[in-house]
Formats: sequence, structure tokens, C-alpha cells
Amino acid sequence: MVDVEKLKKIARETISRDDVRCLIGWRQGSYGFRAAPHFVGKPEEADQLIFSPLCSHNLATYLTLAEKLPVPRGQEPDTRKVALLVKGCDSRAVVQQLVEQGIRRENVLVIGCPCRGVVDQKKVEAKYPDMGAAVTADWGEKTVIFNLPSGRVEAPREEVLAGKCMTCRYPNPLLADIEAGDAVAVWGSDEYTDVREMEAGDPRQRWLFWEEKFSSCIRCYSCRNVCPMCYCEDCILDRLNPGWVWRSANTSENTAFQLARAFHLAGRCIECGECERVCPVDIPLMKLNRKLTKEVREKFAFEPGTDPESKPLQASYRPDDKADFIL
Amino acid sequence: MSAQFEPNIVAFLCNWCSYAGADLAGTSRTHYPPNLNVIRVMCSGRVNPLFVVNALQQGADGVLVSGCHPGDCHYMEGNFHARRRFTLLRELIEYVGVEPGRFNMSWVSASEGAKWKDVVGEVVVKAKEAGPFKQFRRDKINW
Repeated sequence: MVDVEKLKKIARETISRDDVRCLIGWRQGSYGFRAAPHFVGKPEEADQLIFSPLCSHNLATYLTLAEKLPVPRGQEPDTRKVALLVKGCDSRAVVQQLVEQGIRRENVLVIGCPCRGVVDQKKVEAKYPDMGAAVTADWGEKTVIFNLPSGRVEAPREEVLAGKCMTCRYPNPLLADIEAGDAVAVWGSDEYTDVREMEAGDPRQRWLFWEEKFSSCIRCYSCRNVCPMCYCEDCILDRLNPGWVWRSANTSENTAFQLARAFHLAGRCIECGECERVCPVDIPLMKLNRKLTKEVREKFAFEPGTDPESKPLQASYRPDDKADFIL
Repeated sequence: MSAQFEPNIVAFLCNWCSYAGADLAGTSRTHYPPNLNVIRVMCSGRVNPLFVVNALQQGADGVLVSGCHPGDCHYMEGNFHARRRFTLLRELIEYVGVEPGRFNMSWVSASEGAKWKDVVGEVVVKAKEAGPFKQFRRDKINW
């Protein structure tokens, strides 16, 4: 468990260091069950930090989002570290970015926050419509406690936590320079039941399901933008030549886009569930990503973001990889 | 409209093995179904998985990727990479509802003209079983 006061103290000490440029964490959002990313540049700003079941954002995205402007002549680039608060799933994103050399180890300072699950905004907003201005939350024993305007309520965690948290196998950060709390017990196991159910169906049934979902896609690219692993400077979706995926939002192009997006995350997706959280039309993107993580786990015994020494799945091979389908 | 459906199959053949194998089948006057549209690529590792998705979008009823046998790649390891990629791509496109027989992969060496004939026969039979591809084909192509 993470003691928030201890976390603030760690944050103040960290940001006071000469070799730290900023610290990225969470603060209370402007309304309801929202939390917001908080960028701490001065020690006093650390007081606004929170760590609660509302902190669903994967802040590892910001490591690669920072704009890399050309440095004016005579000036040195800012090479100070970025300190980052991470949950278990976020730490996998950091590890995978390190594996892919998207970031450098010396440029990041990871503060690990063992996490007992974050809420699903859609679930809690449906369950407690009287959310008011700003709700605070905390973890109880197998429950989540909310301080609503109408008083304190306690909900069983199955009812409010995000789906990814109920099957979470890595609640404790896998990589941390500073530990902000003691490790928590792993409560979930992942059998990929949702993916298996889907696989058991007929291909035509599966297409009918996905056709409905993909045709509702409005191509806002939120899923790409929020994804900590989607950090290519030159994304195929932004290119006109070659036009891998056309810009028109129809079923054909949307399917190609979603297949491309999912495939580019094959062996890289760390299952933080951010794409699904931000999707404005509620496409079950994790169902697509999790199919590939399942195959990667079963066929290649590989889990992205768990081992900083590993090689990226699709940039390596084993001569004895199994592929029974090849004629 | 003839009674029998003739599938349109796009085949990506590697320059060093499968293309030469198909050439051997031709020069040996082997008969095999004419449904394939061959695209020569330098290596099966050069085939981007999006080529497959794009072929299906643009009117293919089936896609075949063919390269050298593992260990025989002209570029040492291209087909090993292709194997990993297409194992995953095949699972992914089947998961969203593309029939299992539409995407195929084969290893055909330059001396295997007879195997090439068998591979093409099997791929065409599978594509015929699957029928015309309709799922995410582009409605109209306006270049």
C-alpha cells in the first residue's frame, strides 16, 4: 500500500534534486471520479499529488510525448531526468520502452506505487450518478471506498474496478528506482476467458461482432495517442504516401486501421487498457489486443515489459519457432 | 456468370526460392490452377503484414506468402522473421472474422516445382471453400 503523505515527501525530495527536470504524477480531477495528470516542477506543487483508485492514467505515455525541439546554437539540451509515478502496469510500459530503446535508462527515474486496482470510469459513473464536483477514493480490504457528496460508500471491487485490474498479474512495479510503498498481494490470474469465448464462435459471427464495433470507429486516433507503446515519430496513419490506411472512416478502412494498430502492438502491448478507456465509441480494443498477447504468450512464451534484458519479439526469432499452418 | 466461383489470389513469392520454384513449375510445363496473381518480392521477410490486409481490401479472396525453407534464406534470417509475423497476423485476421483458409504461407525452394503445384492446388481449393471475400473489401476503388 502507498501512503500518500510518504509519496508527497518522496516527490518533494525528488523534485528538489538537481538532476530531475520534472515529476509526473496524478492529481484530483476537475469533476466526478476524474483524476488528472500532474506535472510537478517545484517542490510545493507536490502537495497536490494523489494516489487512489481513480489514478487510471498510464503516465508512461508522457515519456515519449515530450516535444524534441531543436536546441538553439550555443545551448545544451536538457538532459535531466524525468521522474515518473508508475503502477504495476505502467512499469511494464516503461520496461518495454527501455527494451525498444524508445527511452534511455539514465533519463528516467521511476517511482513505484504498488496498486490495488483502478476504477473503470464508465462503471462508477453508472453506479453513482450523484458524483458531484470531486470525489475522492481509497482502497479498502477487497473494496473501494468513495467519498461522495451524499456520504461515504464502499463498493466491492468486482463492481467498480476496470476489467484489466481484475485479471492483473503485476500489481507491483517491475522496475522502480524508489519504492513508494510495500508490495501488495497478487489477486488476479489471467485465463483469457473473454478471448477464448470469442475464438470458440463461428468466423461469420465474429465478423458480425467486429463489423459493428469497427464501423462505429470515428478515427479520432485517441487509442494511438494515449498508447504508451505508440511513439513512432513517423506513424503510418499520418502518411499519405504510401497510403497504408486511407483516411475515410468506413468499415473497410476502419478495419484495416484497427488491424494495423493491433498488429503494431503484437508482442509489445503491456495490457494497460488505456486505449479502451479513452475510446469515445466504446470499441472493446483490449479484446483485440489481448488476443495477440495470448498468442504471444502461448506460442512464443514471451511477455512484453517484464524483462529489461529481453529482445523485442518481432525483432528477434528462434530457429525452432513453431508454425504448423505453413504448407 | 459461370456457376463456379474462381477466387482471386495474391501470391507474394520470394525472389530466390519460391519465384524460381514457380518458374521451374512453368518451364516444366506443369499444369496448375491459374487463380494466382504473383508479386515478386526480394524476401518473404519483406512482406509487410499490411500487404495482406491491403490485398484483402482491394479484392483478393486469398493471400499466399511463400519463401525459402527455414535456414535457406538468401538473407540468412528473413523468413524466420516472416514466420513469427505471419503466425500472429493469421491469428489476428481469423479472430476478426476472416475465414481460416484465406491466408496461407508456404516454403517452396527453387527446385520444388512439383511442390509448388500442390501448394497452389491446396490454396485454391481452400479459397473456393471460403467463397468470395466480402468482410472488409473496399466498396469502390477510385484512384
